[in-house]
Amino acid sequence: MNPKKIINGSTPIHLSIVVPLYNEEESVGKLLARILEVGRTFDFTYEIILVDDGSTDKTWLIIEQLKNTTPQLKGIKLRRNCGQTGAMVAGFDNSLGEIIVTMDGDLQNDPSDIPMLLQKMKEGYDIVSGWRKYRKDHFSRVLPSRVANGIISITTGVHLHDYGCSLKAYRAECIKSIKAYGDMHRFFPAIASMTGARVTEVPVNHFPRKFGVSKYGFDRIFKVFSDIFAINLIIKFSSSPLKGFAVCSFPFFLLTVFFGSLSVLGQVFQWTSGKAFFFLFASALNGMTFLYLIALGILGELVVGTSDLSHTYLSELTGKDMEVNCKDE
Amino acid sequence: MNNSDAKIKYSVIILLEEKYEDFSQLINMFHEAFVKIKRPFEIVIVANGTEGFLRGELKKNDNYNSHLKAIALPQRTSQAVCLRTGFKISKGEIIIICGSYQQITMDSLVGLLDSFNDDTDIISPWRQDRVDPLFNKLQSTMFNAVVRKIIGSKQHDLNCNIKIVRRDVLEETELYGNMYRFLPVLAAKKGFKTKEVKCEHFQERGKTGFYSFSEYATRIVDIVTLFFNTHFSRKPLRFFGALGSVFIVVGVFLMGFIFLQKLFSGYPVGDRFELLLAVFFMALGVQVSSVGLLGEIIAFTHGRQKNDYTIEKIFSQ
Repeated sequence: MNPKKIINGSTPIHLSIVVPLYNEEESVGKLLARILEVGRTFDFTYEIILVDDGSTDKTWLIIEQLKNTTPQLKGIKLRRNCGQTGAMVAGFDNSLGEIIVTMDGDLQNDPSDIPMLLQKMKEGYDIVSGWRKYRKDHFSRVLPSRVANGIISITTGVHLHDYGCSLKAYRAECIKSIKAYGDMHRFFPAIASMTGARVTEVPVNHFPRKFGVSKYGFDRIFKVFSDIFAINLIIKFSSSPLKGFAVCSFPFFLLTVFFGSLSVLGQVFQWTSGKAFFFLFASALNGMTFLYLIALGILGELVVGTSDLSHTYLSELTGKDMEVNCKDE
Repeated sequence: MNNSDAKIKYSVIILLEEKYEDFSQLINMFHEAFVKIKRPFEIVIVANGTEGFLRGELKKNDNYNSHLKAIALPQRTSQAVCLRTGFKISKGEIIIICGSYQQITMDSLVGLLDSFNDDTDIISPWRQDRVDPLFNKLQSTMFNAVVRKIIGSKQHDLNCNIKIVRRDVLEETELYGNMYRFLPVLAAKKGFKTKEVKCEHFQERGKTGFYSFSEYATRIVDIVTLFFNTHFSRKPLRFFGALGSVFIVVGVFLMGFIFLQKLFSGYPVGDRFELLLAVFFMALGVQVSSVGLLGEIIAFTHGRQKNDYTIEKIFSQ
């Protein structure tokens, strides 16, 4: 569904701001005004992509009205509620910018932080994540989030304080190479780092919610945690499937040997008649599982090998990096 | 492409699978109906392994005209392939998919076209006062109820061989196998606006009574496929993981039981078949779960071709 890339005029677009919106009729206008205010200070071209994620209120109508007064605006209306990740990906796929900034549609993020993110990016990063250092949410939301962040940080090896913050800046080729689905947006940095992207964070402003209701509930907490578990597994297994499956199969190898030797011992020392036989079968079952897992691992290597999971191009950036790093030292 | 092609409003795609004598009548009726409502139309016939029959029919009737297009697939293949083929050569904005014979009256078909407004993407007819035998009605009702329950659709008559869809629906919905009956369900999952309109049942040519075993088996496999695809194609681990954990839990439970017995009543462990069963269940659980993991790897590394979102409108300046 990629529409043809038409670039008006001669200057290619440098920045795309992608905002997923779900039932945000009160916020849209204010949000756009704030973005435009910041936009006036930019010395490059940019576009604002508002993605209506199947809203049931007037969000899309308002976006359509705003388009007359805002030449930078691009609007996408999704057929159904596809979730924040789906909406973001729809925005990415239709963006033209070299850099993509995502933010929440509920006015809790501050667009005036964008220049800071871009500045940080120039230091040689592919992804700059916002960190809501002074978060303006109720304790009951902050605490599970803290715990989740801690776990993500430890398990994925990408160390950020705040994965859930929507305000993030990505180099376009980085984020477009990710296969995002489900509820993955908080794992973008972790997944991108798999393809070699360099990730960092900067503290950003955070405002309390003014309009609408928060779209988070208690069942979300469970979902986020099961996602953390699943995505960690996927990341680990996708980078080296055979290794992953081999690790899983190791206990079965041990059990095979264990039951096998029991069976031999039973035979040698003339245990109760049935024992040796049962242990032999148990050993065979475990051996089967062991082989099965190894076979799946090999199949996994084949799958990953034929995939288009590409590593991000870093050539151009490396030069800049080195310079900055040298200065730092 | 000439000018008249561009304005075609309706395309009728007929999937010709069975050889019925009054086939030419069906074409004529469509023809008459569309001439009457004065909208530009075309009729696309896709012969699914019935090329000889179609040629004969076309030769018989010389009055077929420029509205007619015919394409033949040499061997019988899946309905999805036929539909794609017909869709590719069709030009209409609204597409009427029809089976080998007329199942609802022409009047009610025209009524369906009238109720196809801007707010509709797909209409499926719901046959009222069905003329087929009670047993068939019962089977059909049960089938639809099962699909409604398992897949969460809202349709009451998926088996009707007529479906009216907007072009976008066929463009954006993946169809495979013989699943064109499920088109409304798949489209609804994509966010298309579906409608079900009550219609007059005209005639029934399909088999009555019990179908063959393979027919039932196919239907069950279809439902399972649909269930997996609509719920878990993005997260196979949840599906296989849940299934696998059930086995593992059974295994662990059995194992615990045996060892508790050993602990409290000194019952020997080594030569009990429950031990073997427990090990078997645990191994099975691990195997099933790990298939889910492989599925997850596939979804993750090859998933980009499949979009999670469908765009209704887009503007840029």
